Amino acid sequence: MSNGPQHGLTIFRAVDVSFVRAGIDLIAPFSLALDAGADADLIQPNARAASIAARICAAIVKPTLGVAYVGDFETRLQPPQAKRMVGFVDSAGFAGDDHALRCEVAFRAEVWNLDKSAAQNRANEVLAALGSGVYARAVALALVADVALVVLDQPKSGVARRVRSVAPGAAIIRTLAGET
Amino acid sequence: MNEFRATLAIVRRHMDRRFAIDWGMQFGIVALIAYAFTRTFAHPVLPLLIASTLAAASAAEKSHAESLRRLSFFAMPLYGRQLARAHAIAPCLLALSIPAGYALGSALRTHEFPAPLFIAMICAALTATLVSLSSIFREGLRAWLYVALAIVVGPIVTLPYVLRPAHETAIGLALTVVIGFFALRGFSETLARYDPI
Repeated sequence: MSNGPQHGLTIFRAVDVSFVRAGIDLIAPFSLALDAGADADLIQPNARAASIAARICAAIVKPTLGVAYVGDFETRLQPPQAKRMVGFVDSAGFAGDDHALRCEVAFRAEVWNLDKSAAQNRANEVLAALGSGVYARAVALALVADVALVVLDQPKSGVARRVRSVAPGAAIIRTLAGET
Repeated sequence: MNEFRATLAIVRRHMDRRFAIDWGMQFGIVALIAYAFTRTFAHPVLPLLIASTLAAASAAEKSHAESLRRLSFFAMPLYGRQLARAHAIAPCLLALSIPAGYALGSALRTHEFPAPLFIAMICAALTATLVSLSSIFREGLRAWLYVALAIVVGPIVTLPYVLRPAHETAIGLALTVVIGFFALRGFSETLARYDPI
C-alpha cells in the first residue's frame, strides 16, 4: 500500500494536544488539521518546545493530553503505522559526509523495507533539488520513503518551499520557535 | 513490514567497529583478570558475581546508552517490543565476551575450566545485561537501581549451579529464559513509554 499523498484527505489531525513534563506545560494545547498538499506553521515560544511539537506531529513523542492522528492512525496507539507515513527532519540536520549519508539511506531502506537503489535514487533526487547542506541531507533522508506528511523542525527560511518542490502532494508541518 | 529485515539492520548498526573493539577489550581484560586471580576466585560464586557485575555495567555504559538514545531509532516505524529485541541482541553478544574471557584466562592458568561454570557464567551475564538495559532510559537513582538489580539478579539464575540439585544446568537455563523474558518485556515497555525530548 502506498503511503503517498492523496489530495482532499486529512493527513494530520491534532485535537487539544499538549505536553507536560514534571508538572510544567512544555506545549500549550493546540489543535490542527492538515490536508494532503497543505502547509502549516506551528509556532512555539522556544526552540525546545518547537522540537517537542515537531516530534509529537511525527509520532515520536506521545502527547500528554489530547490526541493526534497521522492518516487514520492514532500516534499513541499505533505509532509504527503513523511513523511510516511521516518524514521527520530534526533541527540538527544530518551532519555526516556523503558516505555516512549513503550508509544511513541504506539503513533506512532496510528498516522501512524499501528497495535500496530506489531509496538511494530518491535521496540523490532530493539532494539535487535542495543542495548538500546539513539540513538538505536530513530532508533527503526523511524523504527516501513515500511519505504523506513531512515534519520540519525549525527549518531555515525557504526550506519548506524547496521541500514542496520535491514532495508536491505531501502535507508539510513546520515548527518555529520564538515567534509568538 | 519485514520485521526481521529491520531487526537485522539495527543489529548490524550496533555491531560496528566500535563493538568489535569493545568485545575484544572486554574479553582481553577479563582473561587477564582470570589468569591473575583464578586461584583467588576459587569459590564458584565469585566468577558468577564478576560476570554479572561486568555485564550489568557494560550494558549501562554511557556511550552505549547514548547510541541507543539516538533520535533516529525512535523515528523508525517499529513497536517498542520490536525495537527492544533489536537493541538487546548486540549487548547480549557483548556480554558473552565476559565468560569467554574468563574461561580462557582460567583455563590457561589451571589447565581446566568446568563446563557447568561456563554455562552458569553465560546465564548470569545474559540476565544481568537484559535487566541492566532498562537503566539506559532512566535517570539518576532509578537508573542505578536497575544496575543494582541486574547485579543481584544475575547470580540468582545461577543458584542451581551453586546449590547443585539434580539437572542443575537445565534449571539454570530455564531460570535464565524466564527472567530474561520478563527483563526484555520490561525493557520493551520502557522503550514504548520513553519520550525522546
